[in-house]
Amino acid sequence: MKWSIFKLLLAGGMAGMTLLPLCAQNDSIAPAVKERRWDKREHLRYERWERLKPTHLKWQYAGGMGVSSIGVGWDYGRRCQWETDIQLGYLPRRYAEKFRLTFTVKQNYIPWSICFKEHWMADPFYCGLYITTIAGDEFWKKEPGRYPNKYYNFSTKMRPYIFVGQRFGFSPRHDLVRHVSLFYELSTCELYLISKVTNKSLSMRDILRLSFGVKVQLFRDE
Amino acid sequence: MHILFTHFRCFRSGFIQVCFCLGVLMLGGCDMIEYHPYDLDIDGETDVNRRNIERIETATYGKEEIRFAVISDTQRWYDETEDAVEALNRRDDLDFVLHTGDISDFGLKLEFEKQRDILSGLRVPFVCLLGNHDCLATGLDVFRKIFGTEDFAFTAGNVRFLCLNTNALEFDYSSAVPNIQFIRDEGDHVPEGVEKTVVAMHSGPFSEQFNNNIAEYFHYYLKEMPDLQFCVYGHGHNVSVDEFFDDGIKYYECTCAKKRSYLFFTLNSNGYTYEVVNF
Repeated sequence: MKWSIFKLLLAGGMAGMTLLPLCAQNDSIAPAVKERRWDKREHLRYERWERLKPTHLKWQYAGGMGVSSIGVGWDYGRRCQWETDIQLGYLPRRYAEKFRLTFTVKQNYIPWSICFKEHWMADPFYCGLYITTIAGDEFWKKEPGRYPNKYYNFSTKMRPYIFVGQRFGFSPRHDLVRHVSLFYELSTCELYLISKVTNKSLSMRDILRLSFGVKVQLFRDE
Repeated sequence: MHILFTHFRCFRSGFIQVCFCLGVLMLGGCDMIEYHPYDLDIDGETDVNRRNIERIETATYGKEEIRFAVISDTQRWYDETEDAVEALNRRDDLDFVLHTGDISDFGLKLEFEKQRDILSGLRVPFVCLLGNHDCLATGLDVFRKIFGTEDFAFTAGNVRFLCLNTNALEFDYSSAVPNIQFIRDEGDHVPEGVEKTVVAMHSGPFSEQFNNNIAEYFHYYLKEMPDLQFCVYGHGHNVSVDEFFDDGIKYYECTCAKKRSYLFFTLNSNGYTYEVVNF
């Protein structure tokens, strides 16, 4: 597949995923979801403009979006199986020539959730993608004009990632905090994948990146 | 109160389990933690060129005959680079290996680290030059940390090797690339015992990367060095031999790793020999 077509598809997919919440939250008359014994997830819907209120907060360590990043997100879908997050991260001077900010849009798909012992839950598998961008003059979205046309043909500023992860959560039944969960993810970016595909000497360990974090699910205020 | 206590117990046992799992994963995956693909959190050896130059200068001290190989443009061809290392290790007549740049394709830290690790498998010391791809994003900073400065020189036997950054386009012609002052300083302070000179660079004169407005001056100052023998460069992914300035000084181009060949040079009192070796 041509590189430009791949990028176009990826961008289209990301845009589609990001716009999903607006459609999904309108499905108030959608057919009832089949009962799942272990899955106690339930979407507490906001109405009208309140839909803009974030449903959770996240903090993530590593994963290509800075040393640490914090953000807010929205879940949607009957079982909250979709989540979209926006995260702001940073790279301190220790790991870059200058202090750098990163900005990430992340789309998660959480197909299953298991609830046990009343207050405990686990998401045994979830996956998704994110695009992260970094501030700084040496990073460009499009090649600067000094280069002949399509000289490098990629962006040093925007980095798309795919990931899989697991989450374990606890519900304190607090008025504001619905549950707190710890997660970890294994991710890789498109440039690592391209490198891996053509080289057997690159191991999965070379291209996979580990990150972890905390998600705080907020209660809907009545 | 009782409910709270039960919650706490529940939370504690679960929390310990989760922490244990995460701990195991983290211990095993420390090198898989990455803050950003372009960060400067380098794993493994740094300052590689300086260490290897020490090894080259010590091992070739007083030698009349110097034999070295040139490889170039190994970016994103890790399998081929491994094969090159294997092929070069089969030789027992090598003093060192020169890599004329483009270690990375995208300027990613991972690429520099991985290539360094593969090249470290060489039995002989190696030095790496800066390629145009190595300048992308934070590539130059990573290169400086892992390999060293972009203009450097060393002595092998009685030959002075100048290794120069010629990727002017990457610096938008706003920095001194190539650094004429560095070349002049080298010409003014030739170490004792040096009789000949070989020059290595990534982009050859008249390529789109080179500052072609000063190509003649560049060559003029190279010739100020003691008995300039020839120049080697990469970038074009081809093998070629050119006499760019019609003065008997040849510019040898080394191909990329994908095309599976390296150049082999022998310098002695009779002059030098040149060979293209396929692997």
